[in-house]
Amino acid sequence: MIKIERRDETSNLIYFLTPVLAIFLTLVTGAIIFYLLGFKPLEALKFFFITPISDLYGLSELLIKATPLCLIAIGLSFCFKSNNWNIGAEGQLTFGGIVGGGVALLFYNHEGFYVLPLIILAGAIGGMIFAMIPAILKIYFNTNEILVSLMLVYVSKLLLDYLVVGPWSNPEGFNFPETRQFSDSARLPILFEGLRIHAGIFIALVSVILAWVVLFKTYLGFQIKVSGLSLKTAKYAGFKGKTMILLVFMISGACAGLAGVGEITGPIGQLHRMISPEYGFTAIIVAFLGRLNPIGIVFASLIVALTYLGAETAQIFLQVPKYTGQVFQGMILFFLLASDFLLFFRIKFLGFKKYEY
Amino acid sequence: MNTKLKVSKVSKIYPGCIANDNVSLEFESGKIYALLGENGAGKSTLVKILSGVINPDEGQIFLNDKLLKLTSPKDAKNNNIGMVFQHFNLFETLSVFENLSIDSGENNDELRILVNNILKKYNFKIDLDVPILNLSAGQKQKVEIVRCLIRNPKVLIMDEPTSVLTEQETEDLFLSLKKFSKEGILIIYITHKLKEVLSLCDEVAVMRKGKVVSISKTLEENLSSLANKMIGESLNKIKKMSSNNLSEEQILRVSRLNFNSEDPYEVNLVDINFTLSKGECLGIAGISGNGQNELFQILSGETLSNNGSIMFRSKEISKLNPKERREYLMAFSPEDRISQAAVPSLKIYENVALNNFKTSNFFERGLFNERKIKDHSKKILSNFSVNTDNVNLRSQFLSGGNLQKLILGRELITSPELLICFNPTWGLDVGAINYIHQTLVKINEQGKSIILISTDNDELLQLSDRISVINKGKLSKIMSAEEVNPEKLGLLMGGGLVD
Repeated sequence: MIKIERRDETSNLIYFLTPVLAIFLTLVTGAIIFYLLGFKPLEALKFFFITPISDLYGLSELLIKATPLCLIAIGLSFCFKSNNWNIGAEGQLTFGGIVGGGVALLFYNHEGFYVLPLIILAGAIGGMIFAMIPAILKIYFNTNEILVSLMLVYVSKLLLDYLVVGPWSNPEGFNFPETRQFSDSARLPILFEGLRIHAGIFIALVSVILAWVVLFKTYLGFQIKVSGLSLKTAKYAGFKGKTMILLVFMISGACAGLAGVGEITGPIGQLHRMISPEYGFTAIIVAFLGRLNPIGIVFASLIVALTYLGAETAQIFLQVPKYTGQVFQGMILFFLLASDFLLFFRIKFLGFKKYEY
Repeated sequence: MNTKLKVSKVSKIYPGCIANDNVSLEFESGKIYALLGENGAGKSTLVKILSGVINPDEGQIFLNDKLLKLTSPKDAKNNNIGMVFQHFNLFETLSVFENLSIDSGENNDELRILVNNILKKYNFKIDLDVPILNLSAGQKQKVEIVRCLIRNPKVLIMDEPTSVLTEQETEDLFLSLKKFSKEGILIIYITHKLKEVLSLCDEVAVMRKGKVVSISKTLEENLSSLANKMIGESLNKIKKMSSNNLSEEQILRVSRLNFNSEDPYEVNLVDINFTLSKGECLGIAGISGNGQNELFQILSGETLSNNGSIMFRSKEISKLNPKERREYLMAFSPEDRISQAAVPSLKIYENVALNNFKTSNFFERGLFNERKIKDHSKKILSNFSVNTDNVNLRSQFLSGGNLQKLILGRELITSPELLICFNPTWGLDVGAINYIHQTLVKINEQGKSIILISTDNDELLQLSDRISVINKGKLSKIMSAEEVNPEKLGLLMGGGLVD
């Protein structure tokens, strides 16, 4: 007999262990799927999760992928913690990329130390402004931020499409849908020769530390926490609810914008249609896997980044489509939500005794 | 076809409260029965038992001398007991017809004929194909009623049906109910509105504190006799010493306060006027749901009110939020202590930090000053005899009484000039109630003012200097506590008039 009981108190240990359980279950299910597809499960998992990071180049690629995920998830954690459901980080990333890229194109034949900071700032502001749209609509017209932010993703993606095909396309580019290459001053410096890892990682690390301080040590963080737990209490305490909605969206948008600008000034070096393999959506999984905690998000972003790399390796060695990566991301979220059940309930194994009341 | 419904010795006990205490009632078709009582008198519990939502601990229910086993709402439906709840259970975006067809066994064509017949018979004008959200509250209620009528009910139970209706809609409803009754449907009408009992019902059963205290014919009753039965004779021996030397100094002035809500479940406030002197306790009585919530939120600043409507020491505060009002030394203790005044999953010291002042320095330059908040919390715990000294305890582990002491302590430790509290003692044990009453009397004696919004008349009569009654969002004239007695309160609460 199995009996399910409500827990009196959710323990902190379980709170951070359930993500580990979710990852474990994902691996087990992944193994089963590979087996059903006719691969040796352990070997396939090895190709997926170990081969990609078995050399320095792999590790550097992992960090390159983890950087935007971590940045966006940090920003999203401000929104999610305060009960604001910003689903449109992908759009904010794209818009940040557009604005930052625009500035970069403006300076395409300039050299100077001021170029890169300007581009980064422009990207952050771009993401921020784009995130303010759902926030303002929510505040003044009571619209649903989930829908508005999500739909704006397609607006910004189509805008990017138009720009790289039309007005911003490279005049010497034979009509390929891409812009000029940015000047060297507009590129994030490479950290190690031969590897692609770039200085964007520092932006992510600084944002992790800042987020931790703000969330746990400031009045703003306290207000975000209270609003997330009980909007009624936040109202009673007199927190300025509308200002806070705007603020968390701005933070979140700025982070996504930074991620976008980090991509185009980092590994990509120009604007084209595919500046992000849906980092903005995947970061939602990262934020929850990291329990909306900045430190947790660092680990979560590494794990989820690995699914991107694994998918590429698996594509090469196992000839499975790269969308397998998304299957793994989906499974992680699924198992995470399912194992959250354990936060509030405990399962008791009573053996095969008869039920007694 | 005669229907008899018999409730025999039904009891339902919740931890700490007897909701139904050996309730026996008999109903017969052809009459409209009122079940009258204050909030918490046990009406809803009884209704939920009759509709199978909860199971009684003891007792039986008989329909036409047959023992009924009501273990789920489905059982009630199968036994032709129909129920219209105060809050509608309709899908707003589906059409009227779709809502009706969801739980009916009939096929759609037959159902449509049936429904059209019912609509014609009772002269209900509802378009079956418009979505529910386009209907008025009265029309939505008709949809609920039609949903019951489809099943040929023998018994129809209406739970406070008029709380969301306009006057005209109420009259319509009464006409329909009388018609149903003539056709042999047994109608049980639950309410706390005395006038409705007199104008609609044939017999009335009054409940108080879980017990049936009287069963009588409405012809033999009048407003004040019903009010008396509903409220009961209260003993107000421990009444506060009346403070004859009330200061002339005015603390708060509310004038021409109006509030129109967009939410149909909220009550509009109409032309509220009162003043409050230093050291005075103004009690506001009323049956819950008559605008107390809205009034509290407006006084605390959670809802903003029209310009110039609230003056605190001749400063205009109607546009200030609760935090800004606290800076003027106002303090608030809301009714919902568990999930509004505090967050259960936060620690005690974090809950204390909710009441944050410029001068309290909890957050110096925006940073969380944990030590300061913890010291401050310890002071509250000891000054207000909360049963713990661990400021890291989550507040969900405090008992109701201790939580309320913590909240009052948090609000009072800053020595505010005005405390606004809403049902500060509901659900508490006698010891805690006593402590809180003493505290309130004490701060009055220290020259602080109190607005006490409460549904507990004993408490109001004990603590208030002056009392007013709120009914349908209107405040009665303000009476000095000496000239008020339970009967008068009961009349005003039920919407009657006293001169």
